[in-house]
Amino acid sequence: MQWWCSATGRPWTWAWQWYPGVDLLLLLLAAAWWRLARVQRWSDLPWRWFLAAWLILLFTLDWPVGKLGAGYLASVHTLQFLLLTLAVGPCLIRSIPAGGWHALAPDGSRRLRTLLRLARPLPALLIYNSIVITSHFPGVVDNAMLTQAGSFAIDSSWLLAGVMLWWPILAPRKIASLGTFGTIGYIFVATIGPTIPAMMMVFTDWPLYRLYELAPRVFPHFTANDDLKLAGLSMKVIGDLPLWIAAIVVFFRGTTTQGEMVDA
Amino acid sequence: MKHVVVLLLAASIGCGGQKDGALSRHGFIGTELSAPLPLPSQHFTDSRGHPFRFDSATAGKVALVFFGYSHCPDVCPVHLANLAAVLDKMPEEIQRQVTVVFVTIDPQRDSLPVLDAWVHGFDPDFIGLTAAPGDIAAAQREVKLPSTGAVVGAATGEYTIGHLTPVIAYTRDGVGRVEYPFGTRQKDWAHDLPLLVAYGDH
Repeated sequence: MQWWCSATGRPWTWAWQWYPGVDLLLLLLAAAWWRLARVQRWSDLPWRWFLAAWLILLFTLDWPVGKLGAGYLASVHTLQFLLLTLAVGPCLIRSIPAGGWHALAPDGSRRLRTLLRLARPLPALLIYNSIVITSHFPGVVDNAMLTQAGSFAIDSSWLLAGVMLWWPILAPRKIASLGTFGTIGYIFVATIGPTIPAMMMVFTDWPLYRLYELAPRVFPHFTANDDLKLAGLSMKVIGDLPLWIAAIVVFFRGTTTQGEMVDA
Repeated sequence: MKHVVVLLLAASIGCGGQKDGALSRHGFIGTELSAPLPLPSQHFTDSRGHPFRFDSATAGKVALVFFGYSHCPDVCPVHLANLAAVLDKMPEEIQRQVTVVFVTIDPQRDSLPVLDAWVHGFDPDFIGLTAAPGDIAAAQREVKLPSTGAVVGAATGEYTIGHLTPVIAYTRDGVGRVEYPFGTRQKDWAHDLPLLVAYGDH
């Protein structure tokens, strides 16, 4: 029984495969959210954010995306990274209801102090970039993806990276206090970390990852080299897009608010 | 967190290099054969239907010879795709002196059109060969490869063929000297191909 997607070296097949570990994680996540949410009226709950996070997680970790990314295609592995860090992370933060924050981190608690510290740009960027860069080292990928535990560790680290990246931007007002230009600067710096592995993938002469270079082909003439270039380009081009959109939204919201204050 | 990062970095440094960094006597990453191999002496037909003899067709060139089959689900397409990718990036003088020859071990399914489309899908300069089953088996024996056996899939009736997967490299004098098992990476080929071409020049 395979609980979590990992590289098996077996030829690719489009036959559906069940990964109980993914279902278990999703069940636990749903239970945890419900525990935080039940104190509030259903109509006030940000359930759409949670549903979005839950569905994207299912898509990202389960068959076929999970299996393709774990052992066959570097580009799908990158897609998983992008979805976990740029979609699931922010949706999860947004999905926590106002009442849930009180339960998670009561006023004056140690947990609240930790969340406050993590909402500062420097620790958030440090953790996010460390995870992004480290989890893309060839030696790490080639070894971690061979075992279910290693593959799970990579997926979990990306989920953590996603939450850390968006925490200073999306945390409740009492926790995050970056201003308009602080947020834009933060977003700019956040795009630098992923550029390193992305450029390595695009400009390397030879495939970086042994795992994907020697994996059985999914599409006969889609080579390991094409796959790696696609992975690198996606990481930079598609990966930067949501961040720049976020920066633009923050900028216009900030200038509108300032304008309203001047008018008043 | 700091410890995790240090551990991961250590893992990456320890595992990123070439095959333990060990090179053979003549500096190859591939395994040098203790007993050099002769070129297969049988009569083959290439995928365009022309007769093919190894000794005349590969004379003066490095020949990379691989026995496989087009329905192979894993190793064969990876080997050929990696060779095609490496040759594409090599200087032209190296490309001109290297011939990749794929010999089918499944002549029943690998008809000439199938073989032709499959081999040339990787690189138009690759050569695909077929022959009578007895000749293919004899050629495998000559290069010290065990004979192959088909395994029929219970559900589909399709069969796969168990086979050893080395690429045998013949230097320009027509002698098989180096073997490359599955797992040979593009950067390994990039290291060895110029050495194979230059072998015997001094």
